[in-house]
Amino acid sequence: MKKTHLLAGALAAAVLMTSACGSSDDEPAKSDEKVALTYWSWAPNMDKVVEGWNSTHPNIQVTVNKQDGGDPAVAKLLTAIKAGSGAPDVMQAEYQKIPTLVSADALADISKEAGDLKSKFPEGAWTSVTLGSEALYGVPQDSGPMLFYYRADVLDKLKIKPPTTWDEYAAAARTIHKANPKQFLGTFSSNDPGWFAGLSQQAGASWWGVNGDSWSVAINDATTTKVANYWGGLVQEGAIDNKPMYTPEWNAALNDGTQVGWLSAVWGPGVLEGNAASTKGKWKVAQLPQWDAASPATGNWGGSATSVTSQSKHKAQAAEFVKWLNSDPAAIKLLAGTANVYPASVDSSAALTEPPAFFSNQPDFYSVADEASKITKPFTYGPNVNVAYSSYNDAFGKAAESKKATEFAGALTTMQQATVDDLKNTGFKVAG
Amino acid sequence: MAVTTVPVAPAQAPATVAPRVQRNRRTSPTATILLLLGAAYCLMPVLWVLVASTKSASELFNTFTFMPSTHLFDNISFLNSYRDGLYWRWMANSALFAGVGAAASTLVSAMAGFALAKYDFRGKSFVFNLVLAGVLVPAVILAVPQYLLLAKVGMTNTYWSVLLPSMISPYGIYLCRIFAAATVPNEVLEAARMDGAGDWRSFVRVVLPMMRAGLVTVFLFQFVAIWNNYMLPFIMLGDDKLFPVTVGLSGLLNQGATQPAMYTSVVTGALLSVVPLVALFLGLQRYWRVDLGAGAVKA
Amino acid sequence: MTTTARRKSGAPYLFLTPALLLFGLFLAAPILYAGYLSLRRVKVSGLGLGAGSRTEIWAGLENYTRSLTDPEFLPSVLRVGAYGLIVVPCMLGLALVMALLLDAGRTRVSTFARTAIFLPYAVPAVIASLLWGFLYLPRVSPIVDVLDKVGITAPDALSSSWVLYSVANIAIWGGTGFNMIVLYTALRSIPTDLFEAARIDGASDIAIALRIKIPIIGPSLVMTTLFSLIATLQVFAEPMTLRPLSNTISTTWTPLMKVYRDAFVRNDIYAAAATSVIIALATFVISYGFLKLVGSRAFSQES
Repeated sequence: MKKTHLLAGALAAAVLMTSACGSSDDEPAKSDEKVALTYWSWAPNMDKVVEGWNSTHPNIQVTVNKQDGGDPAVAKLLTAIKAGSGAPDVMQAEYQKIPTLVSADALADISKEAGDLKSKFPEGAWTSVTLGSEALYGVPQDSGPMLFYYRADVLDKLKIKPPTTWDEYAAAARTIHKANPKQFLGTFSSNDPGWFAGLSQQAGASWWGVNGDSWSVAINDATTTKVANYWGGLVQEGAIDNKPMYTPEWNAALNDGTQVGWLSAVWGPGVLEGNAASTKGKWKVAQLPQWDAASPATGNWGGSATSVTSQSKHKAQAAEFVKWLNSDPAAIKLLAGTANVYPASVDSSAALTEPPAFFSNQPDFYSVADEASKITKPFTYGPNVNVAYSSYNDAFGKAAESKKATEFAGALTTMQQATVDDLKNTGFKVAG
Repeated sequence: MAVTTVPVAPAQAPATVAPRVQRNRRTSPTATILLLLGAAYCLMPVLWVLVASTKSASELFNTFTFMPSTHLFDNISFLNSYRDGLYWRWMANSALFAGVGAAASTLVSAMAGFALAKYDFRGKSFVFNLVLAGVLVPAVILAVPQYLLLAKVGMTNTYWSVLLPSMISPYGIYLCRIFAAATVPNEVLEAARMDGAGDWRSFVRVVLPMMRAGLVTVFLFQFVAIWNNYMLPFIMLGDDKLFPVTVGLSGLLNQGATQPAMYTSVVTGALLSVVPLVALFLGLQRYWRVDLGAGAVKA
Repeated sequence: MTTTARRKSGAPYLFLTPALLLFGLFLAAPILYAGYLSLRRVKVSGLGLGAGSRTEIWAGLENYTRSLTDPEFLPSVLRVGAYGLIVVPCMLGLALVMALLLDAGRTRVSTFARTAIFLPYAVPAVIASLLWGFLYLPRVSPIVDVLDKVGITAPDALSSSWVLYSVANIAIWGGTGFNMIVLYTALRSIPTDLFEAARIDGASDIAIALRIKIPIIGPSLVMTTLFSLIATLQVFAEPMTLRPLSNTISTTWTPLMKVYRDAFVRNDIYAAAATSVIIALATFVISYGFLKLVGSRAFSQES
């Protein structure tokens, strides 16, 4: 099975190379063959981005089918993969889901078709789609270097300087909450494992790792425990809120000025604008508060790649489309302007000269973002991120509700246990 | 217990209501107040939907809940223009799935219910118990195996993949058996046979009209179930032009953490999607007669 | 009412053919397939990243033991038990009271009330939960606003001590109308003379309801209870939709949520299938036990 796969891949590559040699253009030679591709994505307006491709590539027509985002999207793809039919040619895949998808043999290796793209993407994003191997399981589409958003008007009034370290953040949170017991500089959300993973990434954690042919899991290592204890402490003393984000309650709190800070990522303005349009012009962005101000760092929250599925019958054409979508200057402009994502490509700054409309008061928005994407720490995702993340929901839900700092470290132990047990149960080799 | 002889009110409602008109004589104020309280409890959240659909995205979170605003038409026109009217395509798909699915399901159930109620044959109770066992397995788990099986015949991502599984309803068969037993007298069947009508002919000409009220009930029951179904179409369909409105709206709500949920559009879309259901109910209300207990009552 | 013993013919089988065909293809086969999957599992070799590193193997009863010994499983079963003890009596009690009130007098108020109470049935459970979610969250809830104005601090509806009632309330809201119509229909078919005599003897409406009407519609009550029990054991959509709004609803809050999490979040269809089989068997035992308890022959054939 493995052998035939490799053989087929080599054959396809050989055919492609000969045909590529025969044509002077970067268009594939057999351009008389008409191909229709399907593309599952949940990003708004992706159909309009794809129009840019369809109008210039009459022989490779791509249809966008907008799907539910999140976990069900993966379940749906995996069901189709298991059934042997029904998967699209191209699929939007969140970075943390890629190891799971690769492990289920859902994604095609397009390293030969896509050619050399490595130099066009930041290292972190590139590792997420190669998993550190020679293979290429997708091309990075958008990324989410984490940033700190705060209500400048509220901080100014209390004469607080925007916090640059976590100690300053804690002090600012206390001052704000003391001045108005209804106000919080942030909330600890048990519903957003990707957010907490990003904060741990900033501190230097990497929850999974590969040692030879076995996996290692380090969710409750000293680094992440430090982060959990920090938040547990703030929740326990009541300096920040303990309710999840992305609820109607949280939206209302952003609107009425009771949530005056948000540890988020570069895509934050779109969410703020959609949920709290009335606060336009009052927000500012800065780098995340730091653990060590001397060596600034950040984590990543959100972001996804565009992958070709293993069921696609037109791998070469699909790979060409994926490559265009994420590295062609025209496509990057469409991704940034129409789909409202922060393109992962290093060339994205050319497309992002104006700050987002919601942050028109901060002309240097994208230079802050650009800086953040350069200091993003590396992080390895494992093949059972879904297990770790659903365990986060439950364990930190309990911890946040209890408002006890000790419960936060305990929640990490629960996550670690659930993740390791699941790996072992499935037959993965686990080190340690 | 064995008293009721006409457990299911016939379609001609006035005929049965007539002898009971005298009950109209009085309603105690307590009864009226209790009924109004019940109605208020049920209507309050519906009122919320109505008001929320008139708000803009930020008003939804920063104005008093029951304070209506003026953005209803903005919200509707957003849905209207969303990807060239895709929302209305979803509504049409829902109508197709629910309309055709419920009609077919009603006919299938009527035939099966009639056979179970009016014939003696080998394996009858086995068939009946088997059908009822179908109720016990939660639908959440069936969607994936259904997909895997339909994929083997290449039927996923088609209208059929949602329509065909919607045509079988254990509840519908159970109800039809009750209705057939209650509303179709054996004498009528005998008379039809004397006239030389075959089994199928008497089913179409005699049985179906007599079961009409019950069939409308089963139709409505199944229509709502299919209209509100999410799991089956979610798994089966990849092409967003085939989606029913439930799956389509859910896509607007779950666009990942990097996008705000489009609450107002979803609320407005949900409101519009419930309108056909409510209209159908009000239109067919006089037929809506379910007497689940009738099957147990013996003359 | 007796079934006529018809002459031996193929007619009943022909009438049953479409139903049995559809049942076999779209219910029985998937159920059997789910049963098969519940005995399987995935085995990974090495890092599990190369193509073909994943194989499906027999698991025996491993999925079942893992499901039953999951420390969250028993609490979720007990929770559903408590939920059922709240929902079934409250919903059916309300439905019965409303049906009796409707039956006691037909006025414009009762026509209006009947339609209003029935309306929630048309609202899908997910939408219902979403809108109740808005009504529960303190900052967007008008109920909390109003109570606040009169000086009462409303409890947090999604806090650990209230969340069960809040979920139950959504089910009661959505289900009362349907059951009310079922019971009302049964009440309407009681011949008037059965209680007119009692009324002339001076019996009150309440006495008539308790002594005459309710016993007569007993079979309908049995069936509505049975169907409510089955729905209770499969409770899923309401807590699922409320979950992201609070810290208090876990991903395995009810057994069926665990099925969903395993199948759609953890992509472990095998464990999900095993838990489903357990739920189906439990549903069967409880339904059967209930019918035995009330001595009903609702599901049996008329002789």
